[in-house]
Amino acid sequence: MRTPRWVPLVYLGPAVAVMAVACLVPLLSALQLGFYDWSMGTPWGEARWVGLDAFIAAFNDAAVWRSLVTTLMFAAVCVTAEMLLGIALALALEGDVRGMAFFRTLFILPMMIAPIAVGLTWRYLFDAQFGLLNAIIALFGAAPVGWLAQEHTAFIAIIIADIWQWTPFVFIMMIAGLANVDSSVLEAARIDGATWWQATMRVKLPMIMHVIAITLLMRLIDAFRVLEVIYILTFGGPGDSTEILSLHIYKTAFVGQRLGSAAAISVLLLVVVAALSWLALKLSNPLKGDER
Amino acid sequence: MKRRTFVQTAGGSALGLLGAGLPLMGHAQDRYAKYKGQTVVMSIPSHPHYDAMAKLLPEFTRQTGIKVETDRLAMARMKDKQLLEMAKPSGDYDLACYVVMWKGEYVKKNLVRELEPFFKNAALADPDYDFKDLVPRYVENIGLVGGPKGYLAGPGAKLYGLPYGAETSILAYRRDVFSKLNLRPPETYAELEKLLPVLKDKAGMGALTSRGQAGHQCVHAWLLHLNPLGGKVFDDQWKPRFNDTQGVQALKMLKLISDTGPVGIPGYGQGEMITSFLQGQAAMYLDSSLIFGQVNDPAKSKIGGQVSYVVHPKGVRYSSQSGGLGLAIPKNAKNPDAAFLLLQWLTSKPQDKAVAKVGGVPTRNSTLNDLEMVRQYPEYITLRQQLEYSDPDWRPIIAEWDEINIQALGVAVSEALTGKKSPEDALNGMVPKVTDIMKRGGYLKA
Repeated sequence: MRTPRWVPLVYLGPAVAVMAVACLVPLLSALQLGFYDWSMGTPWGEARWVGLDAFIAAFNDAAVWRSLVTTLMFAAVCVTAEMLLGIALALALEGDVRGMAFFRTLFILPMMIAPIAVGLTWRYLFDAQFGLLNAIIALFGAAPVGWLAQEHTAFIAIIIADIWQWTPFVFIMMIAGLANVDSSVLEAARIDGATWWQATMRVKLPMIMHVIAITLLMRLIDAFRVLEVIYILTFGGPGDSTEILSLHIYKTAFVGQRLGSAAAISVLLLVVVAALSWLALKLSNPLKGDER
Repeated sequence: MKRRTFVQTAGGSALGLLGAGLPLMGHAQDRYAKYKGQTVVMSIPSHPHYDAMAKLLPEFTRQTGIKVETDRLAMARMKDKQLLEMAKPSGDYDLACYVVMWKGEYVKKNLVRELEPFFKNAALADPDYDFKDLVPRYVENIGLVGGPKGYLAGPGAKLYGLPYGAETSILAYRRDVFSKLNLRPPETYAELEKLLPVLKDKAGMGALTSRGQAGHQCVHAWLLHLNPLGGKVFDDQWKPRFNDTQGVQALKMLKLISDTGPVGIPGYGQGEMITSFLQGQAAMYLDSSLIFGQVNDPAKSKIGGQVSYVVHPKGVRYSSQSGGLGLAIPKNAKNPDAAFLLLQWLTSKPQDKAVAKVGGVPTRNSTLNDLEMVRQYPEYITLRQQLEYSDPDWRPIIAEWDEINIQALGVAVSEALTGKKSPEDALNGMVPKVTDIMKRGGYLKA
């Protein structure tokens, strides 16, 4: 008997409704907030309609554009490094390596630590006086470095912390993807004389490209939303050199008490992330295979 | 009229507390009986003074039958939570610790209660409280809102909070290092300027530790020098003047401190600044009097018994920080009367002394003058001197200050510290932004 057309709708309906409410309500609230001048702690009735003022101000604010550039640089470096390291680690540990279970557990630990704790840990590690990094370079006779006290080293510091925390996520995704690669295809490649490098580049990675694309997308989105670690490590400084857009939004909302402006910048961030996500999906659509 | 007398009178008259004959009778047990079994929920920061306070709370519950719960948060996250809680029809907090800079905003948003009605309520007020004994500069700085400039004592000022964890700035120095190098602690900024490179070269450690992290921390450090050097953030008409000669001079001084201090000052928050001194990485400390309780704590300090104190050096005038923490009762508190009883108890003479004994900060003159306490903390002698110069107008405590502090000046000062911009360029560059904020706030014509 053929299933009536409405049956899938009934099955999907509740989930779609919940998702729609969970996603759309906050989104529309943020959009609405962008049209008002409202300070936290005051009644909503006192909010003042300002139309597009906050959106126009966001576009004209040099600090917003500086933050956006910083965010793009941060995301580009972090996500690239995390993808490369995560894939490399997964390839190294996918087989029957001795003690592999231990290494797998070890590598995913950073991802499980609360971001605030990660920030505090790295703040201590980067400490100019008592940090581990300076203790190590002191062994080689080098003078202590104020890692968080200079723009370029502070930027490197926030990148290192992010890579440390999120490479494990890429690693797990890749391990899962590689586990599902059909061994007979690899066997065929070997029989055809493919080297390890050729088998990896031409067989394994193409076969898990859908996993790579989804992982890339998730990391990209997360890199634009990171806040706590940078908040703790540098608070956006020195100057505003590490002030990524999410931290700028936080400061606008909770320091400047301009929630409308913060909402307007959030919408800008949403547009940027959506555009990049669309581009990433366009370049490597994980659903392509299913469509075929 | 001397300023101190004026402050006492202004603060007091705003309250009507100092007049004789207020019906402040009430027996202690009667006062508390009605509230026995209630729970006061406090919003407090992770802060040494509040660590000390926590040791006193069981005694309060034992004496009164009122239970106390504390919600402890990092200082930087406390305000967001408080704003959310205090904006609700009925909040979770009965007593909220606030940083002095937030007082104007909380009052402007109608989030906290005026304290005069509580002190005038004979059923609640302690006749032995002795309001006059509270350090007047602390009361003015932390408690009063609505007076001149909106935050000073004088006509229109009303009491919305009491100081609890208040502080001023003080200069601490390593007696052993100074003695070994045959140096004297600086009494003026000119002496300080000369001393910094000498210490850097000869002491084998940083000369003077300082905060420097972007945002509030570096601005706090800059303000420490701006005021004694004769500067202010705004003129009397609220026009920015922080980029004038004094402002630039103060920023150059901070840069010198950073260059001759322990490595990494432009990344230092208050914690790193204090730790570097306590761990022997700097010969001097010029910041909050909060340091007193920590210098001789072996768990935190390697320099116990080697530190002496002098007043904050003089520039064109003596002027030390006024800041720290206070306690206020939210408008939407569920148990406001019980909260007031706790507030009154904590800031009473016996408990002020008790909290100081366990490492907290004294708020009362009686504690500062108490012989037993002075034997435990000889630095109180210097602190008493210093409080004469504590400037309640040290920074503009207006509702817009957080934004100016963190998003404007906090960027400029930080950029000068790292050498990205000259002090002149950094400060000049922020004048338009601060002017815009002041226009938006209605202080300047748009």
